[in-house]
Amino acid sequence: MLKIIIPTIMLIPLTWLSKNSMIWINTTTHSLVITLISLPLLNQFNDNSLNLSTMYFSDSLSTPLLMLTMWLLPLMIIASQFHLIKESPTRKKLYITMLISLQIFLVMTFTATELIMFYILFEATLVPTLIIITRWGGQTERLNAGLYFLFYTLVGSLPLLIALIHLQNSTGSLNMLLAQYWSEPLKTSWSDTILWLACMMAFMVKMPLYGLHLWLPKAHVEAPIAGSMVLAAILLKLGGYGMLRITTMLTPITSFMAYPFLMLSLWGMIMTSSICLRQTDLKSLIAYSSVSHMALVIVAVLIQTPWSFMGATALMIAHGLTSSMLFCLANSNYERTHSRTMILARGLQTMLPLMAAWWLLASLTNLALPPSINLIGELFVVMSTFSWSSISIILMGINIVITALYSLYMLIMTQRGKQTHHINNLPPSYTRENTLMTMHLLPLLLLSINPKIILGTLY
Amino acid sequence: MLTRVSRFGSALPRLLSSQPARFVSQSKPTSSTGSTAVTELHPAAEQSGHGEVSPYVKNPDYHGFSSDPVEDEWNMRVGFFFGISVALVIGGTFLHYLPDHGMRQWARREAERLVVQREKEGLPLIEENYYDVNKIVLPAAEKE
Repeated sequence: MLKIIIPTIMLIPLTWLSKNSMIWINTTTHSLVITLISLPLLNQFNDNSLNLSTMYFSDSLSTPLLMLTMWLLPLMIIASQFHLIKESPTRKKLYITMLISLQIFLVMTFTATELIMFYILFEATLVPTLIIITRWGGQTERLNAGLYFLFYTLVGSLPLLIALIHLQNSTGSLNMLLAQYWSEPLKTSWSDTILWLACMMAFMVKMPLYGLHLWLPKAHVEAPIAGSMVLAAILLKLGGYGMLRITTMLTPITSFMAYPFLMLSLWGMIMTSSICLRQTDLKSLIAYSSVSHMALVIVAVLIQTPWSFMGATALMIAHGLTSSMLFCLANSNYERTHSRTMILARGLQTMLPLMAAWWLLASLTNLALPPSINLIGELFVVMSTFSWSSISIILMGINIVITALYSLYMLIMTQRGKQTHHINNLPPSYTRENTLMTMHLLPLLLLSINPKIILGTLY
Repeated sequence: MLTRVSRFGSALPRLLSSQPARFVSQSKPTSSTGSTAVTELHPAAEQSGHGEVSPYVKNPDYHGFSSDPVEDEWNMRVGFFFGISVALVIGGTFLHYLPDHGMRQWARREAERLVVQREKEGLPLIEENYYDVNKIVLPAAEKE
């Protein structure tokens, strides 16, 4: 793992010591090279994990998320180049340093063996994200957004710290690999149920669970493009990853403790999908669609069947790429019209046809069109939820229909129809934007051909 | 939303208006700052005088990365080469030729081999008991 962490840390001196004309070129190049050298981690040749050292390991669950994190840094750097044009070089370098430090924390989080280290880095990822949102966000609402984001996550995760320290005391070790074998079954006493809640709430807030999701629309909307991308693509998945890891230690009371959260998620995904149909703000629509997709992941993780775990992992990766791409597309609109109102710039298909192609593909993957990995994830989750309880198929079916509705609504509203008269002078799509979309879409399509690497530990 | 328009003072032309009261920072707002209000379609970049000029006028081969043509061209090349040619193509080929992921194909071959062997020996394909019955130690039956 050091061959990935040390080069990522060294990206910071690279940023600060580059000539002003070479900042973006150097960081883009080197972050892409780092992505390439981390690909061998995908060589999961046995059904156990790759135990790289006493501090870091990577198995079939953490490796796809790690790959997504590494792939996203160059994409964030490419996406941020326009809105930072007027900033001073020092500010640009500071912004890139924030992105790189976030990357370092995320890489270490996904590969941490020890749960306390995972926790510390989980919290540490909040700091660069908060700085990105509150310093480089666009509107005054960004301060409120940062506050919601920080305190929702902190309040959720402080009980997790106490729970982890208690587990360390009782079990003797918080090594994730050992804890699977050493953990004792939890009883149905008050203390063990509160322990279950303490462990899970941090990740529920992060996912986010439907009742605790208020931070997400604010944070996603107010963040600059790189902030939105990393929030939607990776930080939400930290919650899913944490839940998948910690549920191995929380059996067997999960079977009844999970019911309130299952109900909240099953209902919440329909609610948030429906809210998407009434959104005027484009980024807010994509943010609520993230909540809806993550609710599916929560349901999958809580019912704990092999197929649902496979579906959860696939859905996390698929949603990461799709959501990030949608935010980039919304940003390309924002950079031209300086407004996030969806109906403001309509009929873009005639003006920017290639961008319309990207919009179409992003919307199609968002509504889980076969044979994309979005469909594989959703299908596995729907099937395993149906086997858990037959009546949930109604809710899942309604959610799939409404997801299709709002994805097509977003597509038709921005791309089709007659253009609004004031957007006649929009600049055409830049190579940078097309590169960004291609680099989002090609991994998504290539994974449809070879999905076994993202199907997680139970494949 | 409409009340914000009156805050900017309708008497002053927009180009000469002072800092809008709702911005938190005291520094000049960046060009990409805006809001969802329909009334604020014209960004602050107009104040610097070249807001609506297309970048393609100065550089017909503008790729969107930088206003300096050389830097722009290099950034585009670097992005495409390392992003697509190296990372996606070489990386994708590497991933395609990875060996048996998670030992699934090995497991299939092993299962077929064991089935053939067990059928030849006449043993059942799989034993009924998961654990060795002799090793299970049951507590003595208690008298109620």
